[in-house]
Amino acid sequence: MSAAANGPPPEATNKPVEKSEKPQAPAKNEKKSKGEAVDPTNAPKLSGAELKAKAKAEKAARRAQIKATKEVVKGDAAAPLGPGQSGPSTGDVKANKGKGKQDSVSGTNSGAAGKATASKGSTPPAATEPKVTIPECFSHLSIAKKSAMTNADKDVHPTVLVLGQQMATFAIDESITRLKATLLAFKKVIDSYNTPPGNTLARHLTPHVLNPQIDYLTACRPMCFSMGNAIRWLKLQVSKIDPDVPEQEAKKQLCDSIDSFIQERISVADFVITEKAARRIVNGDTILVFGRSTLVERTLLHAHSAGTRFSVIVIDDPYEKKGQVLSKTLAAEGISVSYCGDFGGLRWHVQRASMVLLCAESMFSNGSMYGRSGSCDLAIAAKALEIPVTVLCETINITDRVATDSLTYNEIDPERCSAASFRLLFDATLAKYLSVVITELGSVQPTSVPDILRKLEESN
Amino acid sequence: MATDDDVGPGSRELPIRSNPDIESFDIVKTYHRLLADDPDLTMPVAAIEALIEALGASSASTVFETMDLVKAQSERLSDAVRNPIALSHGTDLFQQYLVLSLKQPGPGGKEASSHENFEVVRQHLLRNGRLFAARAKDARQKIAEVGRRYIHDHYVIMTHGGSRVVETLLSKAAESIPGDPRRRFKVIHVMDEARRGPSEKVIAALRARGIPVAAISEGAVAYAMSTVNMVLVGAEAVTANGGIISGMGTYQMAVIAAARKKDFFVAAEQHKFGKTFPLTQFKLGFQQDVIQFQAKPKEGQEAPTPVENPVDYTPPEYITSFFADHGVLLPSAVAKEVLDFLF
Repeated sequence: MSAAANGPPPEATNKPVEKSEKPQAPAKNEKKSKGEAVDPTNAPKLSGAELKAKAKAEKAARRAQIKATKEVVKGDAAAPLGPGQSGPSTGDVKANKGKGKQDSVSGTNSGAAGKATASKGSTPPAATEPKVTIPECFSHLSIAKKSAMTNADKDVHPTVLVLGQQMATFAIDESITRLKATLLAFKKVIDSYNTPPGNTLARHLTPHVLNPQIDYLTACRPMCFSMGNAIRWLKLQVSKIDPDVPEQEAKKQLCDSIDSFIQERISVADFVITEKAARRIVNGDTILVFGRSTLVERTLLHAHSAGTRFSVIVIDDPYEKKGQVLSKTLAAEGISVSYCGDFGGLRWHVQRASMVLLCAESMFSNGSMYGRSGSCDLAIAAKALEIPVTVLCETINITDRVATDSLTYNEIDPERCSAASFRLLFDATLAKYLSVVITELGSVQPTSVPDILRKLEESN
Repeated sequence: MATDDDVGPGSRELPIRSNPDIESFDIVKTYHRLLADDPDLTMPVAAIEALIEALGASSASTVFETMDLVKAQSERLSDAVRNPIALSHGTDLFQQYLVLSLKQPGPGGKEASSHENFEVVRQHLLRNGRLFAARAKDARQKIAEVGRRYIHDHYVIMTHGGSRVVETLLSKAAESIPGDPRRRFKVIHVMDEARRGPSEKVIAALRARGIPVAAISEGAVAYAMSTVNMVLVGAEAVTANGGIISGMGTYQMAVIAAARKKDFFVAAEQHKFGKTFPLTQFKLGFQQDVIQFQAKPKEGQEAPTPVENPVDYTPPEYITSFFADHGVLLPSAVAKEVLDFLF
């Protein structure tokens, strides 16, 4: 669902884009970097040939963009784009700072990036996306940036460098997968850490080693709530370490507690949730799911292998199309699946369902669900037809923040972002549209989510 | 409690470790015997008492063994009955109670999660086996005290089924207590034609106390609703979201009451609260086989028998408040309490 950003009418789409481009001769622009957006000066009066050229350039730009997105994982990133946005956890203080940095960097960057590509022999460094200015009123929303690895702080661990790129390109996308990858990367960071003489681990590790990693990851893509929760926990663990404990032992302690954290809060949690959710599926059910999420997929497969006979309706996110993967997986297992590529005829699909199964990116403590954008539309449609909406969510994803709309916390899709419009990655679904939240601690109504949070704090 | 003494004095003598062979102990039979012996006993409490007897019959001597035993016996009990919701609320509560009391510091305030504390808890349970039942009956009196404040003179109260809590509440409201005069109200009792027995008992008991009662059929609920001031029902079990599982017909009354903007109250003891969280009528966790499609009867093909006492699920949005033994609770407060006690 793209949100129309603000004032500029559709026909003016190109103008703000141009402004932020560096002034370049149109011919040179087209030849040299295919990725640049169309030259502005063409816009007013277009002859046939010019139109053709424009279309060609646009096509090339699109292609280069796709290519670049795929390549960034390898590290040949382009200049950072957009004003520096900080994650949902950090507010928008850095906005100006980020912008300044970006300007200074972009000059030197071409050389560095060029070197990187030369050595790898891959595509030329294309400015992957038109730089756009997000209107002031939406400037608090964050956006993933493909900042070059070379811009990273010197203390950033190689594993974290790679992870950051994977996150920036959405190769690692789901909240819980990102969390797990982060924790595993931090384990390596801790493992390769040596306390400099004259310092203690408990005091040195967090500010001098962990924070640069976290800053880098946040710069690549704003942290999700679960990462925020886990990092807070990790910092607490670090600070709790007795200064008298030998370093090796302290590191082992930390790694062990990270391991058990992953085990408890992710692996076992997923297992328990899958089990619980699968038990809610009975013979003859028709389960409606949205896009693809690991938890939902595992639940459906689990229920199927337990011998329950049910069918699935996959409504896909038209921008991501991951539901196709899910449909294929389910169909290969012998589950009858019907697939719908977008929200067309939503009501008709929903009324065939006996349950809607969603996976939450996060749960707010007023019971709102933070999920893939489109979840809210689905939940409202289901509520209108009195079809129960079941939400799967690990407790690590629960945040103590509150959201009543989709604009307080959100992320802009870097792939679909222009000055005239941008797409939001997430939306918030109010508690009244949800029936039950299944966590590893138990199944509760959405408004009881803060009680779960309290319960968690008590047990810790 | 005087009432306790005349119910099955034999069952007071719990065999403390005289019969170490748990295999010979039949928890299902014990459960049904307890229910049959005492018509005032609710299912969750009967399940708890059956578990205590199982504990007495076993030779489990460690915490782990005991928890294992309680779990296994609970499962056996749930598997043996068709509608296990109410009794599973009882067994869950008992397990939680065991866990909590074993966690507590032992006598003398010292940390004693050990054998010693376990023995204390075990002995306490076995000696006070009937305490649960006594407290459960006490709870009804408390609910009656809590609920009478909501009943006013000239009220018409609609009720349903053979709930003992509702019967106690209404009977008490018709009596005067010091400082609080008796209420003059009328009762419309909705009769389930298929199961007249329990309803007739309640009607007779209320009429004996001088309360005017009208018995109507289930089809007349919507017709009668406009004359009603409040609806008051009991519940078999209270779910984790503050809904209720109750005799078939309750949901229908709740929907009609909501449509006519009447208050819908539920009288339920705390031990009926549990972790069940149904989403729809057909996902209660067991098959009721109430709806059976049939074209023409086929030879040799037995239709599944419908459950003996069918129930339905009333979602929390239809419920105004709960009268519980420790106060009047909103459905959301019930949800919070369940979370606090049982998770």
